[in-house]
Amino acid sequence: MNVLHVLFKVDGTEYAIPAADVVQMESFTGATPVPGAPAHVAGLVQVRGRVIPVVDARARFGLPAGTPSLDSRVVVGQLGERTVGLLVDSAREVLKLDPRTIQPPPPMVVEGAKGFVKAVTQVGPRLVMLIDFPRVVGEEAADVDGQR
Amino acid sequence: MTGKGEFAEFLPAYLAEVDELLAASQKELLAVEEAVRKGQAQPRAVRELFRALHTLKGLSAMVDVEPVVSLAHWMEASLRLADQAGGRLPESSVEPLVEGLRAIELRVRQLGAGKAASPAPAGLLERLEALGPQMRDAAPRRARRVVLDADAAFASRLAASEREQLEGGLAGGQRALRLDFVPSSERAAKGLNINTVRERVAKLADIVKVLPLSGAAAGGASLAFALLLNTRAEDADLLDAVGGPPATVRSLEAPAPAEAPSGDAASLPGPAVLDEELEEPEVRRGGGLLRVEVSRLDEAMEWLAALVVNRSRLTRAVAALTQAGAPTRELTAILQENGRQLRDLRSAILRLRMVRVGDVLERLPLLVRGLRRATGKAVRLELDVGDAELDKAVADRLLPALVHLVRNAVDHALESPEERQAAAKPPEGLVRLSCHARANGQLELTLRDDGRGVDAQAVAKAANSAVPDSADALLDLLCRPGLSTRQEATRTSGRGMGMDIVRRIVVEQLGGELRMDTRKGVGTTFTVCVPLTVTLMDAIIFECAGRRYAVSVATVEELIDVTGVVRPAGADGVGLVERRGAAVPLVSLARLLDAGGPGSASEAGQGAKALIVRQRGEPVAFAVDRLVGQQEIVLRPLEDPLVRVPGVAGATDLGDGQPTLVLDLGALGAARSGRRKRAPRVGEWVT
Repeated sequence: MNVLHVLFKVDGTEYAIPAADVVQMESFTGATPVPGAPAHVAGLVQVRGRVIPVVDARARFGLPAGTPSLDSRVVVGQLGERTVGLLVDSAREVLKLDPRTIQPPPPMVVEGAKGFVKAVTQVGPRLVMLIDFPRVVGEEAADVDGQR
Repeated sequence: MTGKGEFAEFLPAYLAEVDELLAASQKELLAVEEAVRKGQAQPRAVRELFRALHTLKGLSAMVDVEPVVSLAHWMEASLRLADQAGGRLPESSVEPLVEGLRAIELRVRQLGAGKAASPAPAGLLERLEALGPQMRDAAPRRARRVVLDADAAFASRLAASEREQLEGGLAGGQRALRLDFVPSSERAAKGLNINTVRERVAKLADIVKVLPLSGAAAGGASLAFALLLNTRAEDADLLDAVGGPPATVRSLEAPAPAEAPSGDAASLPGPAVLDEELEEPEVRRGGGLLRVEVSRLDEAMEWLAALVVNRSRLTRAVAALTQAGAPTRELTAILQENGRQLRDLRSAILRLRMVRVGDVLERLPLLVRGLRRATGKAVRLELDVGDAELDKAVADRLLPALVHLVRNAVDHALESPEERQAAAKPPEGLVRLSCHARANGQLELTLRDDGRGVDAQAVAKAANSAVPDSADALLDLLCRPGLSTRQEATRTSGRGMGMDIVRRIVVEQLGGELRMDTRKGVGTTFTVCVPLTVTLMDAIIFECAGRRYAVSVATVEELIDVTGVVRPAGADGVGLVERRGAAVPLVSLARLLDAGGPGSASEAGQGAKALIVRQRGEPVAFAVDRLVGQQEIVLRPLEDPLVRVPGVAGATDLGDGQPTLVLDLGALGAARSGRRKRAPRVGEWVT
């Protein structure tokens, strides 16, 4: 059974998360920074009347900061009770992925990616990383200071 | 697993209802205990307690919470017997009942936290089960009971008080009888109707109740009257008074309790009255009250907030049209009307969220009761809360803080009865909680005890610090995380920790204020001020480092123009401004907000305006760039752990679609300065 996934790009690399975990996509017009929040938290945005935190994927992945553009998107994900956004460079595609093509990532990637990438799959010639959304977003503030 | 899904669906409603029943049970159990202590019967409280547990059991069975069902069952069974014993309980039965209630409450909390209810403790179940025989023994030896064997409809029409009256007659040596009068046209002709019968019988007996009975009656009539009496008169005289047969006299006295089967406590043939009466509260509940889940109120608030935001967009659009020369007079009028309607709707929704403070504090008497037992101290709790109301969200957060304060008062502040007598105080200590709403949208609660007072020297020693010279400084020490003046952990307060939690709830979470006043040997008073609602507040909007922020008007003491700043050397950038003869520290808010960031904001301390806010009791001026204005805002608390930081009370929408942070300046300053102070201390450790 193929599972619908949302594909997005961060720093040229393609990532995917199951569409079932995504509430919606928003274009990014800036976030309100929160003093004292972890460094990878871009700030707060308002989505349909709710105020949610947005995690900057570039900052989280340890990549150089990007410049928000018209392509920038906030992927709004649902994590149990929590609703958290992930700021990515672009997100344009929704694809059905065949579970049989999904492979565990090579060990070197596992070490380097702090567990953010949980699998790799191939879409035609393209390699797509399946991310562990809860882990990327972080369980709680104390956990995600990059100190583990 | 469909069962589980259904369960989840019913759980919120179950929890809401059970909460209410538990609160009622606790109240009634306290009343029962009070009566037991005085050696009195308390039939009403026993019955209400029975009712609440009966309903609780039924609800729990519906959602299949077996541990609660069995706990409630055995409590209910013993109370049924207590009711049959005229509302009398042996003193030894109170403790198991209290424990049973606590065990139920614990399991309900587990369910509320999304966990499974742990099994009922076997030992406790056995003790509850064993209560049955004790209850029977508690009945006064000569207790005689009224039994209503006539028919169920009849029994259900008898009020509890009337029943007690009949039984009281029995206890007083009278007989309890049912005398049936059968009217007929013949008798009416002789002047015998229910009114004259009433008068005639009243001369011979106390009439407790007269019930008309329809349906076939003795002698072929279709209507009869049953008179329930207490009397010393002979049957013959009574029969004569109602015109003789087909009238009948029947005794209402139940067989002696000794004849009751001694087996299963719950299977005692009880009077039908109790079960019949269970129908009553369902009807009573209809009295114009509706229980609503808070999440639904939150949802209404959400939609309202969306409307408010949309209205400001509309206002802007109309202004643009007006500027472009379009005829907008009517639009503007509609917009104004719309604004009024929104304000009305807003206050209506806010009123829906208010709960009575008295209801919130219902739990405290039981807490004090437990503490009395655990500490062996004599304590009287006085509640003087009037009918003040508080937003549900505030109330829920505040309660744990109050529980801490009450616990500390009993456990630490109050002396033992012997110590008190030695100090010429009454042996019973007093804890008094009073509250009233203040005009500025705040609720002030004071908790006063007449105990030994806080020993500043002991606190200083425990905190390894100099003896504080003011009440504020002493409170500061008390609120240090982990501080304990006790060597031994006690059952009630752990190691005496908790004041830091109280302060965190009151100051950081609720944006309120905590003060203390203590006198050695005389007692301590804590004053807690919290906003009545954290959902809607008057806010001051200002700009700082290019962004807009809001701060609750209630927390701001003064707005000043910043002039003549003095910058003492070594003060880490903190300046001083003069305010009515006192030097007030001036902190750059831009710098605070950018704490830890590259020194971009280091020059921004030259804000033109400043807001004076109390930080740990001391005034501090926070420099900002520009004041924008004052307006009512809808506060959205930040629940996500990623953005739950001290000093940020929440976010609001000022109409531009961007969240604006609502700051709690006092907490922000305290959190940041704490961080700054802590850092060098760690360094000292290392070197």
